[in-house]
Amino acid sequence: MGDKVRFFGPWQRLTAQLWLLALVALLFADIEVISVDPWAELSRLALGVISPDFFATEFLLSALWQTVNFALLGVAFGIVLGGPLALVYQHPFVAASCAMVRGVHELFWALLFLQIFGLSPLTGILAIGLPYGATFARVFHDILAQSPSTTERGLPFNTDPLSRYVYGRLGHVYPLMLAYIRYRFECALRSSAVLGFIGMPTLGFYLETAFRQGQYSEGAALLMLFILLIGTISLWAKKNLIPVYLLAALWTIPDIGIIDGGLLWRFVFYDLLPPGIQGVIYTQMELSDGLNQFYQWLASITINQALPGVFATVILALSALGLSHLVALIAHLVASQHSGSKYRAVAGQLGLLVLRSIPEYILAFVLMLLIGPSMLPAIIALALHNGALIAFLLVKQEQGITPSATYKKRADFFAYEILTRVYPNLMGLLFYRFEVMLRETAIFGILGVATIGFYIDSAFAEIRYSNALYLLAVTALLNVVIDFSARKLVARQVEDSIAHGRSCIT
Amino acid sequence: MLRLEALTLSYGDRKVIKDLSLSIEQGEKVAIVGASGVGKSTLLAHIYTQLNSQAAYCAQSQGLVDALSVFHNVYMGALARHHFGYNLLNLIRPQTHRINEVSELCSALLLDVALNKTVSELSGGQRQRVALARALYQQQSTFIGDESFSSLDPVMAQQLIAQVLSRHPTVIMVLHDCQMALNYFDRIVGLQDGEIALDAPSQILQPEHLIAFFDRKVGSVSDNGG
Repeated sequence: MGDKVRFFGPWQRLTAQLWLLALVALLFADIEVISVDPWAELSRLALGVISPDFFATEFLLSALWQTVNFALLGVAFGIVLGGPLALVYQHPFVAASCAMVRGVHELFWALLFLQIFGLSPLTGILAIGLPYGATFARVFHDILAQSPSTTERGLPFNTDPLSRYVYGRLGHVYPLMLAYIRYRFECALRSSAVLGFIGMPTLGFYLETAFRQGQYSEGAALLMLFILLIGTISLWAKKNLIPVYLLAALWTIPDIGIIDGGLLWRFVFYDLLPPGIQGVIYTQMELSDGLNQFYQWLASITINQALPGVFATVILALSALGLSHLVALIAHLVASQHSGSKYRAVAGQLGLLVLRSIPEYILAFVLMLLIGPSMLPAIIALALHNGALIAFLLVKQEQGITPSATYKKRADFFAYEILTRVYPNLMGLLFYRFEVMLRETAIFGILGVATIGFYIDSAFAEIRYSNALYLLAVTALLNVVIDFSARKLVARQVEDSIAHGRSCIT
Repeated sequence: MLRLEALTLSYGDRKVIKDLSLSIEQGEKVAIVGASGVGKSTLLAHIYTQLNSQAAYCAQSQGLVDALSVFHNVYMGALARHHFGYNLLNLIRPQTHRINEVSELCSALLLDVALNKTVSELSGGQRQRVALARALYQQQSTFIGDESFSSLDPVMAQQLIAQVLSRHPTVIMVLHDCQMALNYFDRIVGLQDGEIALDAPSQILQPEHLIAFFDRKVGSVSDNGG
């Protein structure tokens, strides 16, 4: 007969592709439950959650305070670094360098600086500030590019360039920048907490101790305080108080200690050099022998560590992407004001707050204690955190939507009227978060999942710094490549408006 | 002061102004009239680039910065007069002297809003007066305005135009109000299809002569004249 009517549009196609990818990835993923008795552990954890012990550690307040300190100083350093870089970001060299710096997770930066500065606060501040600075550079540059040029054109002739820039450009977009800094500060609190896992005096340090020793009441108390801290940011992080906090942070941060120049020199110009090259420079090795040794090393580490690590990282991240999509859909339905009673929406939004406040790393750590060291805890942790974050942003977005007069608060009406409106944004956010998921996936290696971070962590542990450096570079490159291709994919599928707004709301 | 010879301006590949010659002397009050899309704004923007540092320009697009306060938006007219350090200081902490100047200017323009209010909270008419205040605050000898009174009621528009005329020896303004052009300006230039179709002293003109240069119907022209 005539032409078949097609209902399979671009969004359906994108969703199907996403799920196909995730399912294929799941085939390769190691998702066994290894723990002997996960239910016993789970019930002990549940018991801990309902009986939190706020007086178990005397360091509770100090841990919270130091968590805020590191986040605050890290973000401040990031702004000082990224602000000026945003002005020259159009230069390909600057953009590429920033992308590489961003591609390495805070925790890896911390592992690197740990070798140089030891447990000095400098390690924590630099580990947060450096990748955040690189992110600020890109986002500020994108935001500045959005500012309209009409004002600049109408300014009096002979206005000096700086005033022209500040009043004509910055004036338009500084609220967007402030909003973004506020959002990044929340992220920095999470990063700061996680840095405790490698020895910084922040919340993660005490969390790890408590959970490893099975003291769930104490661990639950720490987590609850952390969620409260993040949930009430708008109440305690007032604009006027920021300088006071910054001064207090500088005052109360642990002593920086002495930086050993000789050690720094040795680390950069000896330890980081790969085998072969090191020999040629320092031990009169023949150039051909050196190159040969270097090649052997490069081939071995690439085949035995970098490639399997990258493969596992991508597999894990793709599986998590599919599950995040599912979690985002369900969480959005539960927490939406358009789908159920007001009380359910409030309860749902509270749940979203809890899930998005806990860093993926800590979620995965706890899940791993429960169900054993496979990829499963990591996948679930990523999906819960990112799905909840996306649902939270969607709930915020849909406040502007007024449903039709015949609307009923039911899942079917919801799917027709609300979901269809926010779906492009959901997909945009999901693909944007993929970059973040990939970064987080890598650090799960420190927890024992065989992603590339596992090999990096081992290299540091074995004091093979050249191996660590090479694997870090591979991680950075992987992130840059994925970021670039995800951006291309999203730019093709998602309308411009969403792609533009993305940098500001995520 | 201004001399344009055989000027042609294009917008994309469409010629907006064709072979136009116009000269304006210091002290003249010139109204430019014409139906919409005839090239008035393009011509005006070009005149501004010619006169640059002698003229204040109040564009139709206003160029207000929504996130900044009324004070800051007006103060932007004075950016060229001050050192950048002083401009930055005023951004963070407006100086009393400047606040007084801006406040005086705003009350002269019947703009009765708090100076620390952000421009995004203002109505269309208020925004237009902020843009006007910014142009006046440039304190130039020549004022170039592009329909600067379009969203104001006629009574207020007349008071404001008096302010503009008293503060600037030379005024070049695009207008969409026939009676205002005849009453307040010495010379009227009418554009049609990118060319000058009328250039005459306003004393010798009657509203009927200007009908072709406005979008409205005949009736409304005489209504305004009444």
